[in-house]
Amino acid sequence: PCTSFAAIMLGARQLQASRCARQAASSIKLNHRMVGCKAVANGSTQPRRASNDDKKQLIDNVDCFIFDCDGVIWRGDSVIDGVPETLDMLRAMGKRLVFVTNNSTKSRAGYLGKFTGLGLKVNAEEIYSSSYAAAAYLESINFDKKVYVIGESGILEELDLKGIQHLGGPGDADKVVALKKGEYMEHDEDVGAVVVGFDRYINYYKIQYATLCIRENPGCLFIATNRDAVTHLTDAQEWAGNGSMVGAIAGSTKREPITVGKPAEFMLDNIARTFGLQRQQICMVGDRLDTDILFGKNGGLTTCLVLSGVTDEETLLSPDNSVHPDYYMSQLSELLTVKEP
Amino acid sequence: MLGARQLQASRCARQAAGSIKLNHRMVGCKAVANGSTQPRRASNDDKKQLIDNVDCFIFDCDGVIWRGDSVIDGVPETLDMLRAMGKRLVFVTNNSTKSRAGYLGKFTGLGLNVNAEEIYSSSYAAAAYLESINFNKKVYVIGESGILEELDLKGIQHLGGPGDADKVVALKKGEYMEHDEDVGAVVVGFDRYINYYKIQYATLCIRENPGCLFIATNRDAVTHLTDAQEWAGNGSMVGAIAGSTKREPITVGKPAEFMLDNIARTFGLQRQQICMVGDRLDTDILFGKNGGLTTCLVLSGVTDEETLLSPDNSVHPDYYMSQLSELLTVKEPAGVAA
Repeated sequence: PCTSFAAIMLGARQLQASRCARQAASSIKLNHRMVGCKAVANGSTQPRRASNDDKKQLIDNVDCFIFDCDGVIWRGDSVIDGVPETLDMLRAMGKRLVFVTNNSTKSRAGYLGKFTGLGLKVNAEEIYSSSYAAAAYLESINFDKKVYVIGESGILEELDLKGIQHLGGPGDADKVVALKKGEYMEHDEDVGAVVVGFDRYINYYKIQYATLCIRENPGCLFIATNRDAVTHLTDAQEWAGNGSMVGAIAGSTKREPITVGKPAEFMLDNIARTFGLQRQQICMVGDRLDTDILFGKNGGLTTCLVLSGVTDEETLLSPDNSVHPDYYMSQLSELLTVKEP
Repeated sequence: MLGARQLQASRCARQAAGSIKLNHRMVGCKAVANGSTQPRRASNDDKKQLIDNVDCFIFDCDGVIWRGDSVIDGVPETLDMLRAMGKRLVFVTNNSTKSRAGYLGKFTGLGLNVNAEEIYSSSYAAAAYLESINFNKKVYVIGESGILEELDLKGIQHLGGPGDADKVVALKKGEYMEHDEDVGAVVVGFDRYINYYKIQYATLCIRENPGCLFIATNRDAVTHLTDAQEWAGNGSMVGAIAGSTKREPITVGKPAEFMLDNIARTFGLQRQQICMVGDRLDTDILFGKNGGLTTCLVLSGVTDEETLLSPDNSVHPDYYMSQLSELLTVKEPAGVAA
């Protein structure tokens, strides 16, 4: 009975697949049934390495691609080969491109400089950094107090652009706490939120200041740009990420933060609203299962994992992994095969 | 139930008055008072009974003996009284910044008579734990000199600690951090010089050295590092490493039982002979209850009466009092006969 059930399911899937292929071949525009075809491939079955037909179908059906940056577009400070040509091809086909990064060290404008320096043509409004997300979140709740920042200049610049007052950040990098007899740390009672982003200058002063604000200022928010455990901050190796800065403050306050970066949905809601997109029109391309792919699946997007970042094929296909993208490929430039005859 | 409890209580009082030595039934009497009923402010009779029945007192230090660098009033006299009565005294602290020998200096400086072997710091606990598992590799330390000194005393090799306090990570293009592949354990204790270099080094060891242990001296969220206010504790250093490795540590300090096992074994004590006195519900009192000890909360530290008696609190000590020196009342002549 199991075998025949499986055979029926497999037969049904093959039927669906061929129906999808015929629809693609006849260039029927994206509709809900096509999403239904893709939906058969996800979740309960093994992740599927994208065939050339899959790639053609993906590009035909998707109007907007959201790309994670690190491990998809670049690794540290080096662009991944074939990416510039792939982005140019997608733009030429009229696709909307959005770039999302959990790395809060730069602002959108700062990332624009990085893209341009790597030979990639993008516009600042296409970039969704978690630094921007933190400021956008505070704006969305009509925040009117001060923010204490653990993090780098990206967060400060985005808060400035929203007119939100802030303390902390790189300015507190050299502060030392002696813990002499009777020592007392003052803190600003008007701080209504602590924003924690990656901070290579993290120190005890900042940890204690943030702790005081969260514990003693009534209603003080604890916001994390993201919680990535490790990340390719240079292309040479993985480095401890903001999961450690956030972990420090969660450890001293016993509170969990509001997270604005992936896999939380805040940036996706913002993107969909800003560009007037339906979820079915969007494909998320990323290298991390627990942020990028989960972000896409929770949001109802098509998802595609690339193996050019932190996730290898073994981890993806392991029985311990339950986050299954619709497709996977070695790297983004594999999409260029759709131009082949 | 209330009638039964009153009966038990009066039986306990008669046993105390008759100077019957501590036995299991007496523990049974005390047991009636804990857990399911409200915590009980210690009456003078309770204090007499406690002292009669207990052979060993384990004291938390911060909030019980001192606050930051100031001794709490009445403590020296109380400790002297208990020693004169032949009680074994042990001092336990989750603060790993000093070694046992370092704490001896603090006690002496505050006018308190103790011996180094009576002090159980979490710095000592970390070294003792590694010794107990026959650890023979290197340790990377996030923490201060107390941990390094205790590792030295056990002959355990270490890297890191205060020596890495001034290291900066630039994250330049292509930057790569090397790490020692012989590190078999990362020990994380309170570190006022915590920085990104240490976080990354520890992260590399735990993620890349096969079988590398992740050991925390303790996880206190905040603590009276100075007597002026509460300061972020080792819960933040440990939280940082748990956040980057997605691993939970082995904790050697309260409320984990490691130090209690060590104390009981070293001094040849049964659990019923011991009373834990502390100011924190989630470390000291939980430590005592999990270990089968009598527990007594003092309100001279981080816990106030409102928090103790709140319906949100489920950790109930057997007794509570304002501060340790309340025990001195047992020296007063008896009031109205029971």
